[in-house]
Amino acid sequence: MTETLIRPPVDTPPPPRQPTKRRRRAVAEEPGKRWLIHVPLVLYLLFTLIPFYWMLVFAVRPTGSTQLVPWPVTFEHFDTVWNDIGFGIFFYNSVVMGLGVLVFVTVLSVMGGYALARFKFRGQRLFLLAMLCSQFIPGAMMLIPLFVIFKGMGLLNTLTGLIVAEVAFQLPLSLILMSGFIRNISVELEEAAMVDGCSRLRAFFAVVLPQLKPALVAVGSFAFIGAWNNFLFALMFATRQDKFTLPVGLSYALGEFNTDFGALAAGGVVAAVPVVLVFAVVQRFLVQGLSAGAVKG
Amino acid sequence: MRKLLVAVAAAALALTACGSGGTGSGDGNVTITFWDNNGGPGRTPIYEELIKRFEAANPNIKVEYVGIPSASVQQKYDTAIAGGETPDVGGVTTSYLSNLVGQEALIPLDDRINSGPLKDKLLPSLVETVRQTAPDGKLYSVPTSGNMDIIWYRTDLFQQAGLEPPKTWDEFTTAATKLTDAAANKYGYTIRGGAGSVFQLITEAYAYSGVDNFFKDGKSTLNDKANAELVDKVADLYKKATPEADINNSYTQMVAQFTGGSVTMMHHNLGSSGDVNKALGDKVAAIPLPVGPGGKRTVVPNPTDGFAVFKNSENPDAAWKFAEFLASSESNSYWNEKVGQIPANTDVRSAAWIDGNKPVKMALGVLEDPSTVIVPAPVYLPQYSSITKTDSEPQYQKVLLGELTAQQFLDEMAKKLTEAQKEWEDRK
Repeated sequence: MTETLIRPPVDTPPPPRQPTKRRRRAVAEEPGKRWLIHVPLVLYLLFTLIPFYWMLVFAVRPTGSTQLVPWPVTFEHFDTVWNDIGFGIFFYNSVVMGLGVLVFVTVLSVMGGYALARFKFRGQRLFLLAMLCSQFIPGAMMLIPLFVIFKGMGLLNTLTGLIVAEVAFQLPLSLILMSGFIRNISVELEEAAMVDGCSRLRAFFAVVLPQLKPALVAVGSFAFIGAWNNFLFALMFATRQDKFTLPVGLSYALGEFNTDFGALAAGGVVAAVPVVLVFAVVQRFLVQGLSAGAVKG
Repeated sequence: MRKLLVAVAAAALALTACGSGGTGSGDGNVTITFWDNNGGPGRTPIYEELIKRFEAANPNIKVEYVGIPSASVQQKYDTAIAGGETPDVGGVTTSYLSNLVGQEALIPLDDRINSGPLKDKLLPSLVETVRQTAPDGKLYSVPTSGNMDIIWYRTDLFQQAGLEPPKTWDEFTTAATKLTDAAANKYGYTIRGGAGSVFQLITEAYAYSGVDNFFKDGKSTLNDKANAELVDKVADLYKKATPEADINNSYTQMVAQFTGGSVTMMHHNLGSSGDVNKALGDKVAAIPLPVGPGGKRTVVPNPTDGFAVFKNSENPDAAWKFAEFLASSESNSYWNEKVGQIPANTDVRSAAWIDGNKPVKMALGVLEDPSTVIVPAPVYLPQYSSITKTDSEPQYQKVLLGELTAQQFLDEMAKKLTEAQKEWEDRK
């Protein structure tokens, strides 16, 4: 009994270094020096946003126009993209594939990450090393072997095939990330739940999972965006027009002899908007989740 | 983990089953797959119309269209060949045809062409460029469209300056310099200094030098003195009659500069017709590449577009029927009118639209002129693209910047081409 009580406090953070903190606050609070923070921030913001503005401008102004403020706006490029290129079906495919990858990567990485964080087993380090090494293999190299395997399994021209390939490539990193997050959650909390009569599974659901929310969001959004942007697999594992995804649709705007910048930009808007929206909603969790894992994992 | 994944995926497959239809043929009806090698909003609708016409004429054949983005089409074909999942008919250009022939993925079409309505109906210069890509000299694609390097120029600006469109390189450089007003951001010419630069430079060099063979006694003629002279002339124009940013130009930047109005002359090919005409309307016209002091017209042809039938096809007869249909005079006329390229079918020569399309008419005139000498570039060499693009494009930039002489630059490239040609001959 006493043994558990006198356990040394493992996770107490070191006392914050006061001087730095005070100095930083001083810069922020002294009105004359606020520009030291604001000017670089504004510059950085412009640097990030101008390409987006450029994309929007190209998307809504007529071909050949050089106006900087596009007015009146035209939606002809969106019409081209949606109706002539067929973004409707590509969009649907991308959403299904993205969500599929998100679900499988998140669930599998929680399961695997938990095992890596909480158990010691033979070959654990080797396994982690192998996971890391798998990140060095470029997708293009696995293209033909995967193609042949998928053909044999009847997975060509299916979104399932794309999901399988994408999950396989994304899982290692997600697994490592997730095990970092889980390691960061005190074992004591789980032990306490188990002392109160929970099984390990129950303890996981009751104690660990609620604390993993930021991690789930971080890993899930990475998985989704990775799948959303993947061009190579989407093009190679489908040989039917109605199985392509958004990145393939986008590349249609770049022809051998001519580039339809309007369609390219409009397609870019269509492809970027969902990602931007998702990020806008989850960014709170994302920042918290990433730093939590990175510092202590 | 992979195994687990596959198991999970298999379960998911059962659940979400996105029905993947086969090309089954039960009642004499067949489905063939057709890959467009330059899919996109510009060309896809044209094919859709042609497929509709074909299916109406051949109710038992269904054509499934797949548009491949042009930048990835080689990789797509290579993967498909390695995986045994090739289409029945595919659009191909001579720039990668030899690669497909080398993988034994295509069937030769000579007999089929000669025993049908296309016999003697295809422009000989285009047939020749296709034939040259195969070591056995057979036709592995039925040519449908030719392209040619031309100079686009602004008729209105030439008129304002009181200049005639140039016929020789000297006239050309004079005009380019005269039409430049750097302070007003107006330039006479734009150089392609980035991606695709050297291919264009080669066509300019041979147009100037009049050298009529790419190889003489097994040696590349690229480093001929006259060719180097031309490279010097072009490099001299850089920054004097062209924007400084030209050093990184691929065709997109060139076309943007030209259609945006800051440049008076641009060397590209018929492929930019659509963009150029849309932006500039009747203020633009095309001339052939200027000739040199010899006055002889030599043309290094652009890649020729055509259709190939793949060996793996389960229905090669239906596949050929479709390819033949696409090359027939009616389809060929429709297709080339829409994209503004040179029709391969000689019956189209008399089509009404050709008179209205001056650039195509001009290009056809050049190709049909008996005094024109065709100098095909050795695109059949497996290393051709790496030598002229990867190795040489950065070197050309050095020439433009004055860090390398034109002769050194061409010597280097000619040496590699000579070696590659020798290897090719030895293997034949």
